[in-house]
Amino acid sequence: MAPLEHYLVVSALLFTIGVVGVVVRRNAIVVVMSIEIMLNAGNLAFVTFARFLNSMDGQLIVFFVMGVAAAEAAVGLAILILIYRNRESTDVDDLNLLKL
Amino acid sequence: MVVLPSPLYCVLSLIAAFLGLAGLYLSLGAEFLAVVQVVVYAGAIMVLFLFVVMLLDLRRDEHILLRLPAQKFFGAMAGMGIFSLLLKVIYSGSVLTGAKGNYSAERVSEIGNTQILGKILFTDYLFPFQAMGVLLFVGVIGAVVLARRRAG
Repeated sequence: MAPLEHYLVVSALLFTIGVVGVVVRRNAIVVVMSIEIMLNAGNLAFVTFARFLNSMDGQLIVFFVMGVAAAEAAVGLAILILIYRNRESTDVDDLNLLKL
Repeated sequence: MVVLPSPLYCVLSLIAAFLGLAGLYLSLGAEFLAVVQVVVYAGAIMVLFLFVVMLLDLRRDEHILLRLPAQKFFGAMAGMGIFSLLLKVIYSGSVLTGAKGNYSAERVSEIGNTQILGKILFTDYLFPFQAMGVLLFVGVIGAVVLARRRAG
């Protein structure tokens, strides 16, 4: 098994990819997918620490995070479909109704 | 995944990334989570994404990517900043400071990963487990209500 730091570097890399995706991309679906990547980076860190601390709690939290991510993806995609029906686009720059 | 222009390719590469993560979970001795990762993430959630990508007409994404010219640059800078910050924390040498639990790798492989998880889930974590069930139920109802077409 690889040392602790290697897993954490992979986790940090995944989180960074997610952040860059949220910042750079303008397609709302890709932004939601980037959020999923960041959740998974957190999950990987949880499992890694659970393993290296001889604990089971990290794995349980990952289980709960997966459930919440599933609910979030379902509702988020439903909202995206609704936005697309109203505005004919999923570009986050078009969603400026709250702008003064 | 972030640099591919088509959302469809993004979804496919994300599935590949999730399968790789399942492999990492396996190497960490979390067999149950690896299987759940494949079934729930690479299976259910990504199929949902794939449906939405194909439902919506998203072929005009290519020029949208470059609407703000400075955005790519600042995005890359922010990414490098966050990554170097995380690296600094990881290699600071004082990451693993928590108290050790009593589920060592030998004991887990002796009893079985899934068995231990189930036992803890249905005793200590019973309320969060039920709450997650309610959350998923509400999420399903919310998704159906939101995505439904208005009658008439």
